[in-house]
Amino acid sequence: QEWDEEDDVAEIDEIDDRDGIDPEAEYAAWKLRELKRIKREREAIEAYEAERAEIERRRNLTEAERE
Amino acid sequence: SKLLDDRGYGGRLIRGQNPAILFESGVRNRIIQSYYWKEQCFGLNEATLCDRAAQLKYIGGTTGVNGKPTPFLCLAFKLCQLVPEEGVVREMLNFEVDEDEDDENDNGEHGKREAEAEGNGGIENDETEEGAPPTALANIPLPLDPEATGRRGAFKYLRCLAAFYIRLAWEPVAIHQTLEPLLSDYRKIKRKTKEGYAMTYIDQFVDDLLTKERVCATSLWRMPPRSQLEDLDLLEQRVSPLQGEVDMLDGSDGEGVEEVG
Amino acid sequence: RQHLVATGQTGEVTRATVEEVHQRLLWLKRKMDEESKPEVLDLDARLEMHRE
Repeated sequence: QEWDEEDDVAEIDEIDDRDGIDPEAEYAAWKLRELKRIKREREAIEAYEAERAEIERRRNLTEAERE
Repeated sequence: SKLLDDRGYGGRLIRGQNPAILFESGVRNRIIQSYYWKEQCFGLNEATLCDRAAQLKYIGGTTGVNGKPTPFLCLAFKLCQLVPEEGVVREMLNFEVDEDEDDENDNGEHGKREAEAEGNGGIENDETEEGAPPTALANIPLPLDPEATGRRGAFKYLRCLAAFYIRLAWEPVAIHQTLEPLLSDYRKIKRKTKEGYAMTYIDQFVDDLLTKERVCATSLWRMPPRSQLEDLDLLEQRVSPLQGEVDMLDGSDGEGVEEVG
Repeated sequence: RQHLVATGQTGEVTRATVEEVHQRLLWLKRKMDEESKPEVLDLDARLEMHRE
């Protein structure tokens, strides 16, 4: 087990990774993270669609100019 | 080591290549020279590896001036050496104690599984519930756990290890399908960083695996974006457990997401 | 030490099945639960657990 007992034994105990100590707060914190992910996904989709619309617009523009 | 010697390598492949190259050569060498690798990883198979993984206390890549690899990273490397069959990896990821294997335990950890109990459950359930007072922790109803399937895995660091391996070794569609349920597993985990230790969460770690380029001192191979897999009808759009709530907010007023929290 | 673990000259180990991995985890879980709260178990329950 010595490989695990490192020079920073005290430090690792500063972080408490036990679950269910404050269930409501743990859930609320997750909810916030999940909502940020949903928002990020949405923005990515919007950016992707905007990009496609822009490509489409330019193509129409040049076709119109050609005629 | 045989794993590193490309000429002589005759083991299982990942995407047609020697799995060792999933790790950067410098990191690889430090793993192989580490005490943990030599002393704790030699001769492990899929089952005995679980003994080590059950003792993990944090995730992480390499630390300190010497870039010392964490036990987590060493075990991930070991998994890449073993290339376990799919069922074994899923077992590591989603291990649960079945109802009938679990007579002597009726406490909170196991209560969660009731949400997804198999159809044949009934009898054992009655037994355990009789003894427990109705207000027992296990019986607190949902809001705390929107998607019980995301909270499997009694050994959370083993779960992270399996998730990391899946991201490295599996194919994109399977990666998304298998890892995304873990985005609602909000248990706490410790992560060792260059500076010390930091708190993170299983859902956060899994999100990193799905969206970042580099996790735990390892460059993740580039997957096609999820939207592309959806366009090819290989994946359904992901539905968050919070989707209903978000849609309700959207219904009342366009920009729902920012207002919650 | 190496010859204890290795099953052949190649250093290959015997692969574990899904069932073996499951049983191993079950055993580890019980061991962990036992270590975390040994005071609630009487001797009979203890013997029961060790009989696995």
